[in-house]
Amino acid sequence: MARVAQRAPWVSAIGWGAARFLPIGLLLAAWELLSHSGAVTPFMLPSIEAVVARIARDAGTGELAVNLGLTLYRSLLGFAIAAVAGIALGLFISRSAVVRWFFDPVISVGFPMPKIAFLPIVVLWLGFYDVSRITMVVSDAIFPVVTATIAGIQGVEREVLWSARNLGASERRLQWEIVLPAALPQILTGLQVALPIALIVDIVAEMIMGGYGIGGAMATASRFADSRGVFAGLVEIAIVGFCLVKAMMLVRRRLLLWHPEALDAANG
Amino acid sequence: MTAKIVVDSVNHLYRPPRGRPVLALENISLDIREREFIALLGPSGCGKSTLLYLMGGFLPIETGAITVDGKPVVAPGPDRGIVFQHFALFPWKTVRANVTYGLERQGLPRAEREARAQRFIDMVGLTGFEDSYPSQLSGGMKQRAAIARTLAIDPDVLLMDEPFGALDAQTRHLMQTELLAIWQRSPKTVIFVTHDVQEAVYLAERVAVMSARPGRIKAIVDTRFDKNDPAVHKSQPFVDKVDELWGLVREEAIKAEQREAP
Ligand SMILES: Nc1ncnc2c1ncn2[C@@H]1O[C@H](COP(=O)(O)OP(=O)(O)OP(=O)(O)O)[C@@H](O)[C@H]1O
Ligand SMILES: [Mg+2]
Repeated sequence: MARVAQRAPWVSAIGWGAARFLPIGLLLAAWELLSHSGAVTPFMLPSIEAVVARIARDAGTGELAVNLGLTLYRSLLGFAIAAVAGIALGLFISRSAVVRWFFDPVISVGFPMPKIAFLPIVVLWLGFYDVSRITMVVSDAIFPVVTATIAGIQGVEREVLWSARNLGASERRLQWEIVLPAALPQILTGLQVALPIALIVDIVAEMIMGGYGIGGAMATASRFADSRGVFAGLVEIAIVGFCLVKAMMLVRRRLLLWHPEALDAANG
Repeated sequence: MTAKIVVDSVNHLYRPPRGRPVLALENISLDIREREFIALLGPSGCGKSTLLYLMGGFLPIETGAITVDGKPVVAPGPDRGIVFQHFALFPWKTVRANVTYGLERQGLPRAEREARAQRFIDMVGLTGFEDSYPSQLSGGMKQRAAIARTLAIDPDVLLMDEPFGALDAQTRHLMQTELLAIWQRSPKTVIFVTHDVQEAVYLAERVAVMSARPGRIKAIVDTRFDKNDPAVHKSQPFVDKVDELWGLVREEAIKAEQREAP
């Protein structure tokens, strides 16, 4: 114990960081070993260095930036729309029993439905443009936001609302100044679920519709039996997804400074 | 003296979504005078909080009527400040922001809000914790923050639900003194729920004892003692009054316990 305490804090911080990513390192090592073992052909499983070289080449030609930019643009715009609309809808549904009566079954049926199956129809309606892909993203990402918002609002302590009314808050202020912040932890959990969904749905839509974007590039690579291209896409998605999830966690920590979870984390 | 608050034959029935309805209050009638300090005593679950909620306008009054200054209570308002049993602070706001919230709603300019909030934060002994969040405070500190928040809006009527329940004896004594000082220098009507018979007798001018559920007013006892006499707790009339009230409360507590037993 004493020796641990003597170590500089940054040493243990780095130690922890390394330990957290060890499982990923092990998986990568397994990939590398398997690809060089001769048990599989480079077509079935290209080596890491081959995939990295491919990503570097795409980065050099500017193709990576275009694909990455489009994928991020579509999924993040879709996510943002789903977030705003989902929170608004959740507030709206929580306010009135009639609205609730209408939306409850709609959500129960709509949430588990594979919305991506409607893509061909959506394309017929909206055309072969980004608007179709973003519509797919919104239609999937909005559900966890709405349900989390409703659950969060339902969980707000009755007496906290009463306090605000007692102190003179109008009903409109109550929504913005009390209900939303009180429900924020749950709403953020919903957003944390919705963000990877937005990325996944966008990439699947790109794969189906083709064209630019990481998913489109993977679909093209797959059509030309270019397994390095497919794996390059997978690695890119993994990195992008990881960064987005981390960024969302930072946002959460920033917004919930008051929450016991943040205070616990700060105290070690 | 005219009645400030009139509670007239009020019942309250809770209808939980699952399970049987609970009659929490039955035929409660109570006149509270202008500037009176009245304590409510009664066994746990007898409906003390429910009665405060009705006076505060938080729950609908289904039978009977409650009027404040002759006007029926229909909604919550800052004229009737409440300190909730479980504090009900805004957990995302600092202590300071909790206390200034009501002042902001009253449209006080910023500097005035801050100064006023600081005064009440100092008064309840939370100096230095202005920027702490409720989750960083102990139970007693949260309770004091809630008291500061309610006192800051300077309500005509103070509804206090076991406001010192989470405090140690020393802090409790200080807060009692502060509350009495506020009550003596500004025209406030205080309805004070407590489990502590001594506290009720010391603070209040009258004590209403409630029966086990469904809550009724079992007795109303006058308890005027000299609050500035430091030895009042030991005087014979005071001790006798505490004993008398203890007897009344104990009877009801035993009834309540027998009822809860299967
Ligand atoms: N929301 C509710 N739904 C159903 N029953 C309730 C509800 N709130 C209170 N009750 C019931 O009403 C009765 C009175 O409750 P209340 O909280 O007013 O009691 P109390 O006198 O304040 O008790 P305590 O001293 O323990 O705080 C209790 O028996 C309780 O079971
Ligand atoms: Mg109570």
